[in-house]
Amino acid sequence: MVSPQQHHDHVYDLKLLSVGPGHVTGSDVVHDLTGLDLAMKLHYLKAVYLFSSHAAEGLTIMNMKEPMFCWCNDYFMTCGRIKRSEPSGRPYIKCNDCGIRVVEGVCDKTLDEWIEMEDGSRWNLLVYHRVIGPELSFSPLVYLQVTWFKCGGISLGISWAHLLGDAFSVSDFVNNWGRCMATLKANGSPTVAPRSQTTVPKPQPLSAKQVNHVGDLWVIANNCKMETFSFNLTTQHLSNLEDEHNPVSAFNLICALIWRSIAKFREGFEPQVVTVCRKDPNHDNNILGNTQVIRSIKADFSVVESDLNKLASLIAGDQNQGRDERNMIEASVEKDNGLTDYIIYGSNLTFVNLVNAGLYEMELKGKKPRFAYYSIQGVGDEGAVLVLPGPPPQGSTVIMAADEAIW
Amino acid sequence: MPPIFTDFSASCNLKYVKLGYQYLVNHILALILVPVMVGVVVEVVRLGPEEIVNLWGSLHFDLVQVLCSSFVVIFVVTVYFMSKPRSIYLVDYSCYKPPVTCRVPFATFMEHSRLNLRNNPKSVEFQMRILERSGLGEETCLPPAIHYIPPTPTMEAARGEAELVIFSAMDSLFIKTGLKPKDIDILIVNCSLFSPTPSLSAMVINKYKLRSNIKSFNLSGMGCSAGLISIDLARDLLQVHPNSNAVVVSTEIITPNYYQGKERAMLLPNCLFRMGAAAILLSNRRSERWRAKYRLVHVVRTHKGADDKAYRCVFEEEDKEGNVGISLSKDLMAIAGDALKSNITTIGPLVLPASEQILFLLTLIGRKIFNPKWKPYIPDFKQAFEHFCIHAGGRAVIDELQKNLQLSPEHVEASRMTLHRFGNTSSSSLWYEMSYIESKGRMKRGDRVWQIAFGSGFKCNSAVWKCNRTIKTPTDGPWADCIERYPVHIPEVVKL
Repeated sequence: MVSPQQHHDHVYDLKLLSVGPGHVTGSDVVHDLTGLDLAMKLHYLKAVYLFSSHAAEGLTIMNMKEPMFCWCNDYFMTCGRIKRSEPSGRPYIKCNDCGIRVVEGVCDKTLDEWIEMEDGSRWNLLVYHRVIGPELSFSPLVYLQVTWFKCGGISLGISWAHLLGDAFSVSDFVNNWGRCMATLKANGSPTVAPRSQTTVPKPQPLSAKQVNHVGDLWVIANNCKMETFSFNLTTQHLSNLEDEHNPVSAFNLICALIWRSIAKFREGFEPQVVTVCRKDPNHDNNILGNTQVIRSIKADFSVVESDLNKLASLIAGDQNQGRDERNMIEASVEKDNGLTDYIIYGSNLTFVNLVNAGLYEMELKGKKPRFAYYSIQGVGDEGAVLVLPGPPPQGSTVIMAADEAIW
Repeated sequence: MPPIFTDFSASCNLKYVKLGYQYLVNHILALILVPVMVGVVVEVVRLGPEEIVNLWGSLHFDLVQVLCSSFVVIFVVTVYFMSKPRSIYLVDYSCYKPPVTCRVPFATFMEHSRLNLRNNPKSVEFQMRILERSGLGEETCLPPAIHYIPPTPTMEAARGEAELVIFSAMDSLFIKTGLKPKDIDILIVNCSLFSPTPSLSAMVINKYKLRSNIKSFNLSGMGCSAGLISIDLARDLLQVHPNSNAVVVSTEIITPNYYQGKERAMLLPNCLFRMGAAAILLSNRRSERWRAKYRLVHVVRTHKGADDKAYRCVFEEEDKEGNVGISLSKDLMAIAGDALKSNITTIGPLVLPASEQILFLLTLIGRKIFNPKWKPYIPDFKQAFEHFCIHAGGRAVIDELQKNLQLSPEHVEASRMTLHRFGNTSSSSLWYEMSYIESKGRMKRGDRVWQIAFGSGFKCNSAVWKCNRTIKTPTDGPWADCIERYPVHIPEVVKL
């Protein structure tokens, strides 16, 4: 069925189908969800990769489908559906080969025109997104939209349920698909993040917030209107920043800047606690799961009047300020066996560092994407900021997507 | 203990009596001839060679008599050989193996069903019940157009599917047999529900650049038993045309026939019918005798169309909303049983050994003359055939035939496993079943195979083949990558 377009008709002619594993996964295979996975269940990741017409030459949906079946053999858990176990009601994934939903679409603009457009919400047209529920066992966890542009370029839009894995997992997922397309061979299953058993009681995490029971419709109820916008930072901007505030890195400076700006804007209600997410340096590539480090950082001083360097080094955690709350979140969720609903992104102002997520590693016909854009769907009221790498060769250009409350 | 023991020994005794009776009756000629031959040889040896020569001389043959009698003998022998029907050989056949990109797991089928029929939850429930009990597995395939939500059954997509399945099967047949396209004298294509203009046989002729004087036929609308009707037609043509090759292509094109409405009687085919095709090379050439796999022995066709209920039991029509679908009536099983009885009444005398025929005749006479309440004797067809290929129309069909013919699970294994792996591929399913038996290494020289197919009309058609040479397990073919996994246990109800 064609999804109704609200105010844009730039993307039209949507066709839906399902793609699953080529091999039978088996009748009793399940993928258990850890406490951390369940804490992320109300969040979704949206990723868009734009490829120029050179990369997309000769590509049709048929010749994209065959490698997908190969790729889904490795990622069979993304092709499953949520079920609740009896009698506890804890959700898990039944790997029943149901498949990921693939959507084909056509856009009436060229790639250049699309990138020039001002409207921040246009990215939503390139990613077919539906929340999980109200029928859990009939809700796909991953949607993949392939949109053909007027100039011959294409975009790949992925909507991914965060309970499967974090943005680093999504990046691996997409890069593996690129490899499957090139070689038509499976690359071997991703390593599933270990399921840890935390029985030791832990203190309450600051980064996770309980929300009202959402039942079987996994969507966040916001108290205020949320909007996404993004802006670019050129290499020049970044090197200016770094020169001024040596030796702190760009990411920490940007976060500090934004934190201070928001604190100024919300005078009297400045956020004292923020959450910072970044890649776990101890984990190898090709891991599927929620393995990113989630640290909550508390400022004991006034953020508005603080020095940028001080704030940035607080965020960087140079003196081990801020605690890695992953185990605490896990323990909180496990306390009542996953029955309470939590949000992580937006429970406090959240910063996510995706600079080293490998966003430009995917290759189509040996060509890298022209542009890669990630955003989070379903963010709490405090908002979230993603710091993404820019397209090569200007590797240090930074683009940010922010979900911010409009007060 | 004693009663069971006596029962056991009684049944043992009965078994041996039965075996003895069968051996006696089936080999009666040998049993009579052997003593006679022995007697003659003993007599000849006793008489001695000079006595034999004297005996011969005393018969007073003259030249004319000798010439006339030898002329008569030669004449009779020639007439016999000329009027004997030509032997029809099945050189080889190949079945289409769908790619994994067409695979439809249960979960995907149900999810698509829910989205396509979102306003009819009862119909979706019904489809789920059917699928759970259908006997299909998770690897059956539907054509690409049906994978869309909602399906996009254009004529172009239907032609695309036809080209894909038919050309793949034919390419594979050419490789297996070394047949050149120019050597095809007769071409028969059967596809019941898709009949474009130009026909599918014209499509094949165009693709492979076949000869302009080819005898081509396209059978449509004849249901799942059309495969055997095509074999029958090929046989008749090969009687008329000496030294010829005939290629038969059996398939069913799913794309244009996927029912898009909500009537329950019409939703059943959606759950069962899947992609498939088979291409078969038949020949009457003497040179093929050595490498042919099978020889066609009998084809028996039974049509119950004269009966109105049988005629309407599988009926293509529009539902209230104008969607075209195939409506299956509730008496389908009863009518199938009836058609089967007619068919085996005709085929029985052709294939059953004398022992079974005598028993059947005696009980028939007994029922007519003495006591109509005697149970009718069901001949034991396991005596006549080593292998059975029952059209994989659905689990109910196979169960019904297994019960009626008193077959063991091993006999119907080929049918059940074909239904599990490929679904109901209509007229080509018999060939997937043959391929299963060959892949299991069970096909030996001299084995007799019985193919039975049912089709709309209502028809029941049978073909009997005799295996010409022991067949080595094939390394290619539709079962090559999965035969080790079979047979699988198929539960009564699959939990979805």
